[in-house]
Amino acid sequence: MFIFEKRTQIPVRINNKNPRLAGIILSQYGGPDGELSASLRYLSQRFSMPDNMGIGVLTDIGTEELAHLEIVGSIVSQLTSGEGAKSFDRYGVGDYYVDHSNAVYPQNAAGAPFTAAYLQSKGDPIADITEDLAAEQKARATYDNILRLSDDPDVNNVIRFLREREVVHFQRFGDTMLTKLKAIIMKKKHC
Amino acid sequence: MENNLNGRQLLQAVDEASFYMQDLKLYLDTHPNDTVAIGMFKEAAKQYKACKEAFECACYPLNAEASRDEECWDWLMGAWPPQKL
Repeated sequence: MFIFEKRTQIPVRINNKNPRLAGIILSQYGGPDGELSASLRYLSQRFSMPDNMGIGVLTDIGTEELAHLEIVGSIVSQLTSGEGAKSFDRYGVGDYYVDHSNAVYPQNAAGAPFTAAYLQSKGDPIADITEDLAAEQKARATYDNILRLSDDPDVNNVIRFLREREVVHFQRFGDTMLTKLKAIIMKKKHC
Repeated sequence: MENNLNGRQLLQAVDEASFYMQDLKLYLDTHPNDTVAIGMFKEAAKQYKACKEAFECACYPLNAEASRDEECWDWLMGAWPPQKL
């Protein structure tokens, strides 16, 4: 069950327009290491998690990723709202405008549409949590790249928050993994 | 404008309390026996509830069930993301 609140997790207030930067940030909406990929990965993997700690962590982090998807979509939308075809073209993203105009579409920065092939749901808790640890680091690295490409302070403040959350989620998945490994070792000792 | 500024402050209080609660929730998922953190979570949950109610009284509902107006469907009011408050 999901409950929507009419607010973003942190405020998104971008003052400048920049369709080119929007096209770069869009990768964290529908790209391989983006928030849609993260939320679908965790919210799918939880169905085969054998223990309540694993289920809880995947559900709670997966839900927060949906809130991040909303934040990234809000940044993209605010960077492009009200901009016309000419502006998109001037910023070098006329090809995006021709298919989606001012809409937010899940694709990566190069224009490839979102695909479930970005993620795995293996049914093996160690394999799944290991993938999740990597996913958090890949998302963190993507946010680092965005910070290298963007000089808009309104955008970067929000991106820094999202980057930090990847680090926290990595930590939580690490704790989950350690707990699982300890349980396996204890079981072996008692056999 | 003054109303908006006040609204922003009240919303920031909701954001902060909710974030504090979220971070404690994730921590408790992997440290379920930390009684100090459980106490902190309960306090955070109370704070969040109070901040949310204060915002909704002054501005607009954040959930449909917080709708107050009997004459009009006020759930539709306010800034829907990505609109800015």
